[in-house]
Amino acid sequence: MTLATQTHGTAKAFLAAGAFWFLAGTVFGLIAAIHLVAPEFFNNVPFLVFGRTRPVHVNTVIFGFTASTLIGCAYYYVPALLRTPLWSERLGWVSWFSWNLTVLSGFFTFPFGFTQGREYAEYLWIFDVSLVVAMLAMIVNFTMTVATRIENVLYVSVWYALGACLWSAANYPIGNVMWHPLTGALPGLLDSVFLWFYGHNLVGMLLTPLSIAVVYYVVPRVARTPLYSHTLSLIGFWTLVSMYAHIGGHHILQAPIPNWLKTISVVDSVAMIVPVFTVLVNVWLTARGHGARLWRDPAARFIMAGTAWYLVTCIQGPLQSLPSIQKVTHFTNWTIGHAHIAVLGFSGMIALGGLWHILPLVTGRPLHSPRLVNLQFALLTFGLAGFFAVLTAAGLIQGEAWHNGETVYRVLPEIAVYMALRAMFGVSILAASAIGLYVAIMSLRPAPGSVPATSCGTSLHPAPNSVPATSCGGTPKSSCTATVPDQEAAP
Amino acid sequence: MKMTPALAMVGSLLVFWASVLVAIILPAITMTETPSTAWRPWTSAETAGHDLYVKNGCSYCHSLYVRVSDWDLGADRIAERGDYAGQNPAILGTERTGPDLSQDGGEHPDDWHWAHFTNPRYTRPLSLMPSWEFLGWPAVSNLTAYVQSLGSRDADYRVARQQRWKAPAVRAYAGGPDVNVDWLHAQVPAGWLAMPNPYPATEAALQRGQKIYEGFCLNCHGPVGDGQGVAEKYLSPPPLNFTTLKRHLAQGRYVGGLFYYQIMNGITGTAMPYFKHELESEKIWDVSNFMAVRFLGYTDAGTAPRGIEAAYEPAWSNAFQSLAPKGVRP
Repeated sequence: MTLATQTHGTAKAFLAAGAFWFLAGTVFGLIAAIHLVAPEFFNNVPFLVFGRTRPVHVNTVIFGFTASTLIGCAYYYVPALLRTPLWSERLGWVSWFSWNLTVLSGFFTFPFGFTQGREYAEYLWIFDVSLVVAMLAMIVNFTMTVATRIENVLYVSVWYALGACLWSAANYPIGNVMWHPLTGALPGLLDSVFLWFYGHNLVGMLLTPLSIAVVYYVVPRVARTPLYSHTLSLIGFWTLVSMYAHIGGHHILQAPIPNWLKTISVVDSVAMIVPVFTVLVNVWLTARGHGARLWRDPAARFIMAGTAWYLVTCIQGPLQSLPSIQKVTHFTNWTIGHAHIAVLGFSGMIALGGLWHILPLVTGRPLHSPRLVNLQFALLTFGLAGFFAVLTAAGLIQGEAWHNGETVYRVLPEIAVYMALRAMFGVSILAASAIGLYVAIMSLRPAPGSVPATSCGTSLHPAPNSVPATSCGGTPKSSCTATVPDQEAAP
Repeated sequence: MKMTPALAMVGSLLVFWASVLVAIILPAITMTETPSTAWRPWTSAETAGHDLYVKNGCSYCHSLYVRVSDWDLGADRIAERGDYAGQNPAILGTERTGPDLSQDGGEHPDDWHWAHFTNPRYTRPLSLMPSWEFLGWPAVSNLTAYVQSLGSRDADYRVARQQRWKAPAVRAYAGGPDVNVDWLHAQVPAGWLAMPNPYPATEAALQRGQKIYEGFCLNCHGPVGDGQGVAEKYLSPPPLNFTTLKRHLAQGRYVGGLFYYQIMNGITGTAMPYFKHELESEKIWDVSNFMAVRFLGYTDAGTAPRGIEAAYEPAWSNAFQSLAPKGVRP
């Protein structure tokens, strides 16, 4: 069995890449943070200047760390939930290479001034193509795995994984204006409408569904209980796609875009409370009574923390789309705080939870060190919570000062201490990412004299005592048992 | 409801494309590209500068639209859709670590920008902006051309005014300190020339003035006020050497109102910006007293004519060499 066809090879490769990009992307985040404390720290070093390092950080943590890790999880749980092998590991590797080529390109283009310059859409056209190829490969692979499945019922995680690939494969070319290869942009203000439709859906139609899919997969397994409600999972899925996708206009709410676009952006931003709370209620009622089990499991601890960050993010999000609030918070570090709890707190924590839950399933061995995973959780929680607090404080100071007639320049000294604290909390996050990479490498490394990792292929077949999933009945406590036997694969 | 592959994939994709129809296709059809009255096309240098703005990530710290609620730079011109016609790409920005730049054209003369791009702290000591010296020439020149175009026709009007006043300012400087000071004074309304600093130069006031000086004036006018700050070599005319105003004491002329007016209003055509957006009244009087006491060796604070003392004013006598008889105000 070669590397290209090894069972779970694609999943392992994406998980390893995600752990690596977490560290690499966070290094660039810290470099950018240092600029805002001491702007001459890397004076006149062209490839480390703020405007060039920030896009490396942003794109690497979104596409490299969070999305790669979540895709790695999907490459495991989609076949597992369908009780069938992945349709093609080779095609999986194609998606891995082309996806990671795009992420890697950021390190060799942006620092040297090669960028399309639009926030979240910076990758050059050729690497846009590479990313879309990866998504198309995933769509084909997952669709064919569904087509050849043994398990008839599609569990909710599978819906979200399929949806995320399909929606993002449409969203990405639109937002990157891929039919204009040279600029990746449209002339005029319309470009911002396209850009923020995409930028918003990068989180909403890629990271959110992939994260929720992992939550729905891991929580019932660790709690050893069926999902609370099939109906709620249906409501959450359909309201997400019907309400999230068209509200990107709230990112340019105060720019001269059409008023009707502003109106639907605000109204349905508030309506986002529906998909968020249905998912959270469903997950938390599934977890109810099993808190100790979830807390003691290093992976599930990450997942549950991720759902808490999801709650905070998605209370903040609708509120800051309201014009009277956004008037103060927009353009400030408040927004940076929000972006970090969305991508690192919600998606990132859940991606890490998925990583630590699924790594033992794909290697067939326990994690190298659950204690180090718990340390990573502590460092990340400390770093992110502090980061969020100081940036929110800085943002309120900026927004209120500007709104009361102070100039941007006058307010810079007022946020200086918060910029220093942010860099300090960033060090904690960086340490967490380094620990994560170490544990991932040690866990993936073939143990000397051990049985080959492929033994976990048994997880693809239903255990004799398993109850077939019956989510079609719509009754509570019926839809998740299909996943439980997978646990037996881990020795 | 049973989720079949067809429902999950085709159904959800249909719902997504409905959103694309509403939020992408409808705006693409209905949003007009009619240029605003201020709009004009870019020159080749401005286009090259815009390209640098995009490629170096300037948009991560600077926005390019003024909102209805803004008070800062450019607040007199709210952004219109037609301002962006044909700009490719028009990157609006999401953060204001630096100020909005959409109306920055003509706020400063070109030489101010050259010093600022070389090291932003040369002109703005508290700035968090990175140095762009490494870009070299002509990149800095093109970036300057782009920034000077921001605001389009409104910017052109301001740039023309900068150029209109630059020539006499340079000529006056070339004429030597006497000519220069006379020319500078001739641009200040008479009422301000006959006005002493109305507020006492107490130790606290001088400390406040010093903090303002360090945050706004230091790197052009220098730590000893001789106009030899780090930005000096980029600027034409160079920053004023305040010590040339020492003669005012012997000549019985005031400096308080003079400083106040020039700090408030700036000297268009030179690198001296107006500070009325950033510094409210007391801060300007305090920095005026600081400059007078530290660089000229005297202040006219407390000298007649003046009105009733402000309620907070402590008992203060002008111990600095002064136009006023010592102890005039117990």
